Amino acid sequence: MASETGEKVGVYICYCGGNISDHVDVEKVAENVKEVPGVAVARTNMFMCSDPGQELIMEDIKNGVVNRVVVASCAPALHELTFRGAIQRAGMNPYLYDHANIREQVSWVHHGDAATDKAATLVAAAIGKAKHLKPLSPIRVDAKNHATVIGGGLAGLRAARDLSRRGTEVLLLEKSPFLGGQAAQLGKLFPTGENAGDLIKQLAKEVSDDSNITLRACAEIIKSEGYVGNFKITVKKSSPTSEEYIEKLDTFGNSKAGIGDFVPFIGLCPMEVPSQTEEFTQDTGAVVFATGFKTYIPSAGEYGYGEYPEVITLPQLIRMMARGKSGGKLEINGKRIRRAALIHCVGSRHIPGIHEPGSDGNLNEYCSRVCCSATLQAANEIREKHPETYVFEFYRDIRTYGRGHEAYYDRASQNNVIFFRFEPEDPPVIEKTDGSQYPLKIRVKDMLTFGEDIEAEVDLVVLSVGMVPNDISDLVDMMKLPVGVDRFLLEVHPKLQPVELAKTGILLAGTCQAPMDIGEACSAAQAASSKVATLLSRGYVELDPFVAEINIEKCTGTGNCADVCPVEGAIQQSETESDGEKVMHTRINPALCTGCGICVAVCPENAIDINGWTLGQYEAMVDAIAEC
Amino acid sequence: MATQANEGKILILATETCAYPGANSVGQAHSTYPANTYILRVRAPALFPEQFYLDCFEKGISGIIIMSCGEECPYEGAYHALAKRIDRVYKMMKERSLDIRRLRLTAICTVCNRAFLKEVNQMNDLVKELDEV
Amino acid sequence: MESEREMKFDAIVVGGGIAGLQTALDMADQDFKVAIVEKDASIGGKMIRLSKVFPTLDCASCITTPKMAAAAHHENITIFTYCNLNSLEREGDVITASLTQQPRYVDPVKCIGCRQCEYGCPVYVSDEEQGGLNARKAIYIPFSNAIPQLAVLDAENCSLCGKCAKVCPTDAVDFFQQPEDFVIRADTAVLATGFRLTPADQKKQYGEGKIENVITSLQMERILAPHGPYQRVIRPSDGKEPDSVAYVQCAGSRDKSLGIPYCSRVCCMYAIKQAMLLSGSLPIADIVIYYMDIRAFGKGYEQFYQNAKAMGIEFVKAKVASITQGEEQTVALHYENQEEGGVETREHDLVVLSLGMIPDWNPAGICPVATDDDAFIKSVMPKMAPALTDMEGVFVAGVATGPKDIVDTIVEAGSAAMEASGYLVEKRADHAA
Repeated sequence: MASETGEKVGVYICYCGGNISDHVDVEKVAENVKEVPGVAVARTNMFMCSDPGQELIMEDIKNGVVNRVVVASCAPALHELTFRGAIQRAGMNPYLYDHANIREQVSWVHHGDAATDKAATLVAAAIGKAKHLKPLSPIRVDAKNHATVIGGGLAGLRAARDLSRRGTEVLLLEKSPFLGGQAAQLGKLFPTGENAGDLIKQLAKEVSDDSNITLRACAEIIKSEGYVGNFKITVKKSSPTSEEYIEKLDTFGNSKAGIGDFVPFIGLCPMEVPSQTEEFTQDTGAVVFATGFKTYIPSAGEYGYGEYPEVITLPQLIRMMARGKSGGKLEINGKRIRRAALIHCVGSRHIPGIHEPGSDGNLNEYCSRVCCSATLQAANEIREKHPETYVFEFYRDIRTYGRGHEAYYDRASQNNVIFFRFEPEDPPVIEKTDGSQYPLKIRVKDMLTFGEDIEAEVDLVVLSVGMVPNDISDLVDMMKLPVGVDRFLLEVHPKLQPVELAKTGILLAGTCQAPMDIGEACSAAQAASSKVATLLSRGYVELDPFVAEINIEKCTGTGNCADVCPVEGAIQQSETESDGEKVMHTRINPALCTGCGICVAVCPENAIDINGWTLGQYEAMVDAIAEC
Repeated sequence: MATQANEGKILILATETCAYPGANSVGQAHSTYPANTYILRVRAPALFPEQFYLDCFEKGISGIIIMSCGEECPYEGAYHALAKRIDRVYKMMKERSLDIRRLRLTAICTVCNRAFLKEVNQMNDLVKELDEV
Repeated sequence: MESEREMKFDAIVVGGGIAGLQTALDMADQDFKVAIVEKDASIGGKMIRLSKVFPTLDCASCITTPKMAAAAHHENITIFTYCNLNSLEREGDVITASLTQQPRYVDPVKCIGCRQCEYGCPVYVSDEEQGGLNARKAIYIPFSNAIPQLAVLDAENCSLCGKCAKVCPTDAVDFFQQPEDFVIRADTAVLATGFRLTPADQKKQYGEGKIENVITSLQMERILAPHGPYQRVIRPSDGKEPDSVAYVQCAGSRDKSLGIPYCSRVCCMYAIKQAMLLSGSLPIADIVIYYMDIRAFGKGYEQFYQNAKAMGIEFVKAKVASITQGEEQTVALHYENQEEGGVETREHDLVVLSLGMIPDWNPAGICPVATDDDAFIKSVMPKMAPALTDMEGVFVAGVATGPKDIVDTIVEAGSAAMEASGYLVEKRADHAA
């Protein structure tokens, strides 16, 4: 019999070849539910998921016998999609369907009459829900196949190229006048021995030759709105004012390099610096963050930094060694370096209660991942090019984890680099010497010699500084981006969605997310490009229909829903005047709504509901359970 | 069976991503538990207003276990909102002289078989004890 | 002779572990047709066998099963399990894979995964899925959340009693099933062939696998997993709840005497994770990790390590020199203590060897792709394009190019999907031009 409102529910109960029917009297359940108002037919089958089983359902739909379907069988994860597919093939909306789980949650856990009774109750509850179902369709949002990449370092260049290869139009923005990012500060790379500058040149050429990519240097995003497929950004291009950029431009100019050239430790200058400020807007479907990192600057006095001129950082050493190429000697302040001390974990692996916050007031509890191998590489280079210079390394743990990296550690031992291991509580201490031929002495409690106090006099102390994220607080505020306690951008989940931010369409590429080496950053950039392709390559985005919907007739405009909604812009309110009265209009943006339902609970009129999971459906299920 | 009909009913609101598959995992292990338990699949239990719980008790449900994803909740802010709401439900239950132990908020993962059984059995014992009085 | 079955896809993904699944999903979501070929009877790889995963301590199943299900239900993905890859070669413009479907002795169309056969089977066999710590039947579903949920009959151990065929409600058991050869052609392939642990018995000084209560790290994963062999933490020899558990780090890595000079990258973190889980189930037990360097380099890993220290897990900086059987089935570790000096011996109730990773697949004779000195597949541009191999149109993801944790593997899978889909698009544009 049909219900008063015309719902004709078909109920299909599965034996599952005995898995259900051994404990549940399937025929009895079918007999019982026939009496439930709204149920048109109740049928049973040995295997409802088999083709003959599905045929039963499809026939009833095609013959107009049923307009709602309930299947009682195994867990919905196994066959919910199977039955939705069958319903769709029969020409009915696949969302007019509910599932009763009477195998995993009944016949496999209960026995005897209790199992049969419970199965009947769950089927009745599903019927209750089915009567409240309405047709739904996936939400389709047009998406512009265009992506904006922020940052022209290696990760940004990599992402831009891959996006373009995959057919996405790209706007690549770089804040500084140069491409190459932090990689430009490196010389030879571990463990391949490639030159960082060559990688930059190669990728930058591919990018500039690519007609699908628009590159803008000295450019920053100043405004952003919208959602996946439909972002609108405003970009400001202006002549650089920061001292750092002006200085670099001077050096670049003095080196007689021109547009398109790469200068070590500066970068590759892709275009003329804009002479005046200019703004433009761009519609874009996705935004890829490749904003990168900067190196940690030690606090004044940290291991003697800023106090003694002979204390430098690893990037400074790398520059020094690159410049020393022609002279052949390793010198500081005109003095030959006979002994160098390299200290690991400066600005990384801070432990609360042991370490003081660094120069920027932060504790960096994380490991910066690349410094161990980079330091060993520098040590090897010193020992191999300047065998007269002794190298001491002071470390906590040597983390040469990458492919081929362990060989650097071995080579350092073969090169007679001398290692000392310290505990975080007893870090090395740097002091001025008194009347010695060496300017500095370094004292440490060495755990490799059972805690012996060791003192060494040296010419140079090199601090292996870690990575800190670039300051992108303006973008973080503007786009409401999640940031972790380590101040790097925070992915949704490290395994489920490692390169995605909570806001769909915003992706992570490289060291804005965490310390990484170049290979890892390029991997991340490619993974982000892959995600953009899955989002935009069809020209539209299809989203689950399980999002909030407002019943305009019931809505009184309290605004409670908008207040509690955790997603910016998912619920919008506007005020209009109608017949001299102010009326609040509430609108849902289905592209942004995640369907969490927090809004449903706070509406006093029950004017808002999640499609497919409405409060009314739950109440009907509870009624059925309570009545049985 | 007459005794069966009188048994207090326990409603379980189990999240789609964590606890619902967790309950299925108990089924796969063929571990048995009281049959007066009715599991409803939910996306995020934050959907239910305070009144929903009170209505359930009014309709004759003896106990409710919310099996959430806990801090692993896939919806931003939903677990926090839920925890706050349940505090308010407790207050309302007290005002109505309902034993607040009849409502329990917990987190169950996809393979938390033992935790699932413990929760269900505890609630069943409690409901039996309270309904006898 | 019957002609071989032939199928055409855009891409072949070799390996149905987390790297292969993620690659396939990323490509299928771009509307490419993907075939996943997997040698085991279920997809899920090593990850589905783990207990919880660092640094979030999510249960591994909760992260893996959604991806397995997404792949299984995806309209653009076809999964071939229990298949041997005989060859993978480029023939002109296409990649051709020749495969053999191993007989399950169960009709995959009829089987409904109800396990009646398994319950009925009288033969017990050591269960490799559970690290050999307990038994399974000779016909069985590989594990509770296996995909596909199809029984497989272990012909080697089957007694041919016929009980399974009798109890099967769908008549799915077929003792006469034969291996079936078939061919897949595609434009591109991704190798996601993963790893296996270094052998537990390879090191003489560590007892060559003969010392009682010395187990492997994967066995400990199973012991800690919700569907594990014991459902609690006990040692295998006598079922005693251990009062002290030790981890021997670098038991299969950074050791030239074993021919494995490299770091396996995950052992520090999984040992710390297992130690944390153990201290939850054995609150009063001593848990000690003997290590050379703690390599907690990933996002959130160092903090995880420091938490473990704060929880009271003991870290001893020492390379364990040898392992012997102690008194009353304990295990004696002999090591030089680097912090305090001198050779020491300490006994533990249970010892876990933190074994390293070696490649699970050797392409020699199957696929002309180059490997490196470490036997993993060679990445020809490890900096700028880590997924590139020396074979045109063949890319690589995950541990196939060297040890890697799950996070890095999943990111690399995205990178391989990018390379493969970029290759497809460019190639088709060239053809069109």
